[in-house]
Amino acid sequence: MCIDSQMLSAYLDGELKEPYRTQVIEHLEHCAACRKHLDDIRALSNRVRNTAFTEEELGRKKDAMLEMLDKKYFQNNKISFFRRRFEMSLPQMVTAAAAVVVIFVCGFMFFGSNPAQTDDILPSFAVPADSQNVRLVSSKSGSLDDYTLEEILQYLDAKGYQVDISIKGLQPIETPAQTE
Amino acid sequence: MEIKSTNRDDFRFIYEQNYHLIMQVTMHIVYNLGIAEDLTQEAFERFYVKNMTFPSEEEAKYWLLKVAKNLALNHINRNKRDIQLVEKVKKMPGKTVNNEDGQKQVIDEESRREVREAIAQLPENLRIVIQLKEFSGLDYKAIGKTLGISETNVKVRVHRARKKLEELLNTEDRDVY
Repeated sequence: MCIDSQMLSAYLDGELKEPYRTQVIEHLEHCAACRKHLDDIRALSNRVRNTAFTEEELGRKKDAMLEMLDKKYFQNNKISFFRRRFEMSLPQMVTAAAAVVVIFVCGFMFFGSNPAQTDDILPSFAVPADSQNVRLVSSKSGSLDDYTLEEILQYLDAKGYQVDISIKGLQPIETPAQTE
Repeated sequence: MEIKSTNRDDFRFIYEQNYHLIMQVTMHIVYNLGIAEDLTQEAFERFYVKNMTFPSEEEAKYWLLKVAKNLALNHINRNKRDIQLVEKVKKMPGKTVNNEDGQKQVIDEESRREVREAIAQLPENLRIVIQLKEFSGLDYKAIGKTLGISETNVKVRVHRARKKLEELLNTEDRDVY
């Protein structure tokens, strides 16, 4: 059986692995058809190679270009900080990202969060103030001095106490009388 | 040898080593000396600006080849409507041929042009592979690395490209005679 042309092609390029290579060589020795085929492939390959451009065709700007690039990049022979690239491999990047997340989460865990902070960080989560969730609380601190006698009496009366009030002296009352 | 693309000596070294190769590859894609030069320059500028460190000069070469190839293909695709590739090859100026491989065969410019036209007719995935194979001196493994395909895939494509070229050239011969 003859060698298929893909194998011959690889053989020509010197890319055939060992057990096959020896087999091909042996086969070629006694098979004229395959030798012919190999020659055809080689001839074609040479024809293609011959279309390569010569160094003089390609090289006309070689030195000028290097000169130009050298001037552009190496004359002030310092790489600026910003041009310096920081390379990071993927695992490094993943680790860094994970670290950021952990720090963030720990921050909340250890220092807690109160609504005011949340409000600062995430304004959209703050509940708008309206009549439903705001209760009016008096700012007065209550003591008896804040009430008139009538109010006190009224209050006690409403609670069901019977209160008698008498005046001890003749002085006019400046402060509310004591109840007994 | 480690290559740092912003090191002046490394840059010069890589430039001297790869200029003709990059030119050869871009030239066989765009078939225009001026454009190939622009693309080659662009590739080397990117090489510098990228500021990379390569473990070996080979890796740097593959990187450059990949960039140059992509630049050239982009250029072609952008200007596809302007001129068909085959037309471009036909308009290439002629030039005398020197013998390579020590062979005594003299191939005239007409035959050279014919082969170039045939290569230009190959589909892109075969064309780049056969060009890298025949013009760059890279082995299958290196070509695979440059193009991001497997070694086996390179082998198959080289073979298909040769088969296709043979068909194209033979039918053309028959047309001529």
